[in-house]
Amino acid sequence: MIIEMNNIRKHFDGLEVLKDISFGVDSGEVVSIIGPSGSGKSTLLRCATFLETIDGGEILYMGEKAAHTDAEGRAVYVHHQQLQHFRSYCGLVFQQFNLFPHYNVLKNLTDAPIHNQHRSKDEAEATAMELLAKMGIADKAKAYPYQLSGGQQQRVAIARALAMKPEILFFDEPTSALDPELTGEVLKVIRQLAEEKMTMVVVTHEMPFAKAVSNRVLFMAGGVIVEQGDPREVFENPKEERTKQFLRVFDR
Amino acid sequence: MTLSTMLSTMSAGMLRTTGIFALTLLGSLPLGMIVALLRKSRFAIVRGFIRVYISVIRGTPLMLQLLVWYFGPYYLFNLPIRGWRFPSLILGFVVNYAAYFAEIYRGGIESIPVGQYEAATVLGYSKGKTFMRIILPQVIKRIMPSVTNEVITLVKDTSLAFTLAYQEVFSLAKQISASQTSFMPFLIAGVFYFIANYVVAFIMEQIEKALNYYR
Repeated sequence: MIIEMNNIRKHFDGLEVLKDISFGVDSGEVVSIIGPSGSGKSTLLRCATFLETIDGGEILYMGEKAAHTDAEGRAVYVHHQQLQHFRSYCGLVFQQFNLFPHYNVLKNLTDAPIHNQHRSKDEAEATAMELLAKMGIADKAKAYPYQLSGGQQQRVAIARALAMKPEILFFDEPTSALDPELTGEVLKVIRQLAEEKMTMVVVTHEMPFAKAVSNRVLFMAGGVIVEQGDPREVFENPKEERTKQFLRVFDR
Repeated sequence: MTLSTMLSTMSAGMLRTTGIFALTLLGSLPLGMIVALLRKSRFAIVRGFIRVYISVIRGTPLMLQLLVWYFGPYYLFNLPIRGWRFPSLILGFVVNYAAYFAEIYRGGIESIPVGQYEAATVLGYSKGKTFMRIILPQVIKRIMPSVTNEVITLVKDTSLAFTLAYQEVFSLAKQISASQTSFMPFLIAGVFYFIANYVVAFIMEQIEKALNYYR
């Protein structure tokens, strides 16, 4: 298991967003998370990547505990320094890209590896150029984010996350901020990563993509995992009424 | 008094004006950043103190503040006033301008989207590195127009040093005008201030242009 989240609970201002969720991802697995908005999908990713702290439950990366629940039922995280080590296991691609506008594309990819992972400049730049080539935007290395289209920016963001050499990559609705004609180029890149056995968790509203690319689909609603399994099973033969209801909206 | 003696006396005054200007910026630009950061301190006492400091500074005239800095130690603690004129002047200006710069910095810091912090956190930047490498460079670009405004105001505010009888260009203009019954010193002072601000505006514009490589 790359990541294991057990009995995760999380609330915001009294509202339970995650209700005792357990979920794990094996190496090389591609998991899609679908569900209506407000179902807790994004919060789950944000807890997995340590942007939010859980209220209860435990988070393990590579079998090591990053957070657990103490005797009083409160979540306890490892020490600050160790948390940085856990952060290096995971990458996150945001809906809004969140590239650094004052750095050019190459520096967006190399700054963190050089300054936070203490890699050499040469190594970091070589890795970055390789990744940009893979994303089909090697010619944009010296461009600034504002000079790129949304699809190109998102591909840079994916490359930036990969430049940290994470064990697992999380995507938070990576195509939701893009024009329909630009979604294809981003999905193509994710599909390519899936073929290379990159471990990924993708929160998405692109049902055909989820069906075609993932090994497993999770349907979340109301802060719980309602149903999960083989994508063909979940999409063509959903067992739960809530899942059927949700998928019907997409069939229209 | 010939025009050339007038000019040379007032040039010496302009040099002192420039001194106040430069030392004030040197002190208040960094101090303002410290104040802006302390305003978000996790200690309520620190936050409260900074809030009171900023509201007092903004709520009272700089001229009055200068008088307090100069005479305060003498009247309150019986400290010697000799040699205190210039230090108190700079202290008064730095403490005043730091408050205004702090508010400009705060506005700039708060205008950076939260996604920048999140991206930095996920990429392993520590809090300090996030601020220095990701947030601050973007803040500087965003606040340049407001900073330019404040710096131009400072050039003109240096004339308030006349309240402490410091011989900068405005004090001299008043004195020479009175003793020579001439209007000329005021014109000269006006031209000096205008040129100084022209230079300031030009330099700030160059900096803004240099930061225009991204949006």
